Amino acid sequence: MDIQSIIAYFLVIAAAVFLVKKFFWKKKKKADGCGGDDCGCH
Amino acid sequence: MSHKNLKVALIGNPNTGKTSVFNQLTGLKQQVGNYPGITVEKKIGYCKLNENTKATILDLPGTYSLNASSIDENVVIELLLNRNDPNFPEVAVVVTEVENLKRNLLLFTQIKDLEIPTILAINMSDRMDFKGISLDIPHLEKELNTKIALISSRKNIGLDNLKELIANSQELSTKPCLNASSIDPAYFDGLRNAFPKELLYKLWLVITQDVNFGNLQRNEIEEKSFAKPASELKKMQQKETIKRYQFINDVLKVGYIVDSSKAKGIRAVLDKILMHKVFGYFIFFGILMLIFQSVFSWSGIPMDFIDESFAKLSSWTKTAMPPGLLTELISEGIIPGIGGVVIFIPQIAFLFLFISILEESGYMSRVVFLMDKIMRRFGLSGKSVVPLISGTACAIPAIMAARNIENWKERLITILVTPFTTCSARLPVFAILISLVIPDEKVLGFINLQGLTLMILYLLGFGMAIFSAYLLNKILKFKSKSYFVVEMPNYRMPLFKNVAINVIEKTKAFVFGAGKIILALSIILWFLGSHGPGANFENAEQIVTEMPQNKEIHDEVLQDEIASFQLENSYIGIIGKGIEPVIRPLGYDWKIGIAVVTSFAAREVFVGTLATIYNVGSHSEEELTIKNRMEAEVNPVTGEKVFNFATGISLLLFYSFAMQCISTLAITKKETNSWKWPMIQLGFMTVFAYVTSLIAYQLLK
Repeated sequence: MDIQSIIAYFLVIAAAVFLVKKFFWKKKKKADGCGGDDCGCH
Repeated sequence: MSHKNLKVALIGNPNTGKTSVFNQLTGLKQQVGNYPGITVEKKIGYCKLNENTKATILDLPGTYSLNASSIDENVVIELLLNRNDPNFPEVAVVVTEVENLKRNLLLFTQIKDLEIPTILAINMSDRMDFKGISLDIPHLEKELNTKIALISSRKNIGLDNLKELIANSQELSTKPCLNASSIDPAYFDGLRNAFPKELLYKLWLVITQDVNFGNLQRNEIEEKSFAKPASELKKMQQKETIKRYQFINDVLKVGYIVDSSKAKGIRAVLDKILMHKVFGYFIFFGILMLIFQSVFSWSGIPMDFIDESFAKLSSWTKTAMPPGLLTELISEGIIPGIGGVVIFIPQIAFLFLFISILEESGYMSRVVFLMDKIMRRFGLSGKSVVPLISGTACAIPAIMAARNIENWKERLITILVTPFTTCSARLPVFAILISLVIPDEKVLGFINLQGLTLMILYLLGFGMAIFSAYLLNKILKFKSKSYFVVEMPNYRMPLFKNVAINVIEKTKAFVFGAGKIILALSIILWFLGSHGPGANFENAEQIVTEMPQNKEIHDEVLQDEIASFQLENSYIGIIGKGIEPVIRPLGYDWKIGIAVVTSFAAREVFVGTLATIYNVGSHSEEELTIKNRMEAEVNPVTGEKVFNFATGISLLLFYSFAMQCISTLAITKKETNSWKWPMIQLGFMTVFAYVTSLIAYQLLK
């Protein structure tokens, strides 16, 4: 496989991963605004 | 030299020009995100106050008081009560409006009572002469125990003084305005004795508001017998509000003088015309017409330029790069895909330019008021107009905007019908289809037919939203009462900076939000279109060349035949052929079917998908634009154009009514806290779109 094909397939995989992450991956909620145990987010 | 970085919160009532102040202070140094766990917009900007001091400025949602009644208001309270929050402000700037100072000061006094260093920014000071208002600043500063910046964010007056006050915030007094004990001395004395380390007013907010405060648990307060029945708390809150207004009245009696003989204004005259029960509607529709005409005619030139530039770039890449898969991916997948996004920037920018001007000028609030009477007949509230109009941008923030509708039934109906409004994602689809099937002609000598069609589609979406609301109002059996309160801001010249920032933000959101999805899908589509299973795809050249009808055709035509055969036998061709029986009655071939399926991720993907599919399926060396490729597409069986009038109208109707947006479903689920409503929404919209398109195609073909 030549270098052009390797890059092309890499981009295809990256695009697929991006779309799966975007629409099917459930992100865990991160309490960014959390300021400690008494912040009220827990 | 070390730099000090102050955390500043901009707080204020809605319509006080808070966002204008934020824009003036921060310019384009802004970050827009969401508060964790909720979808309330969080805007943070950065500002240099002087040589040694910088500020991180947080633009908080507009709130009338610290007595929260909406999620937006909760955000403000939770931040101001949580000193451990990373965004907790070192300085609060309460933005007020000079004409409504009395009402705006209620929030100011509450924030002062939380003992946060607070600056009072009195905005729109340029209107003081016009309204015959004079202020005694030293008196106000003394009585309110604060520093005052008299500013005009629209005319950039007094902002340097405000920066200076923020930089010197260590000089600010934290003395409260109201002695909380005066609300109910016995109760508050008990509270103070039970929690000697806590701020009294903070305790009071914990008791009266439904927000979390960590260590200071509500049950701890309840255990110590400080809980009271809701009706009693309400009475105490009313008493608090009365006491605050008594304090404010005393302060303003000397510090705020209005000489009505000097006041002059055209507001009343303009309101009489723009909110007239007959002419008001004509004017509104006239303005809408003007907007859609302009969106179409003004954006034509830049759109053609972008389209041609991308076609040239694609063709140049094909010849300039060495042959190979990457070259094919770039020239046939990535460039047409990006082109499919960039081409719609002019139309989106023009649309938001007009919407921002209407909002900035104060006219949009009049439209809300004007439409309230009509909306009520269909089970909606006047406040539903805001989500419905915001829906022209995107259904997601629009559905979120329905949060300010207090009545659950009206809110649910608004959430369910808002996706019918024509959002900006539909605009690219409409634009390309209209330009293909509607002639570029003038009606009555001055109305552009394409612009008129676009306006009809917008009205159709709006009409369908209203009609569905009417049906839902009859079907849903919730009982509730609602009230309509809307604030009428003054008429004012739209501020260029605010309009520009809004247009840039919205266009950026389109390009970088939908753009990433479109680009990724373009890459996948290119792969699916240029690869396939089985011998038919692999041996396409041999099979087509050996076909008897192809023995004597020209080489270029033969190459196109091979490409077309290969595309039909590619992965994408197989998927498209699979769904063709379902969509054929609507007038769509399998290539359009692919675009309809992929555009479920985002509607605007439709155009990018077709651009990629037609690029993969063509071996022509000519520089063809997206529009040219779609125009040239011919049905191999009938020999007719694929995008004829019947198919075009069928597609326009399908995209007017179909849900076609994963993100909208997600936000409906989030806002209704159930999968039931988004599924009903999806089912109804899809079936309705299918049936309408079917009827239209069958009648017009």
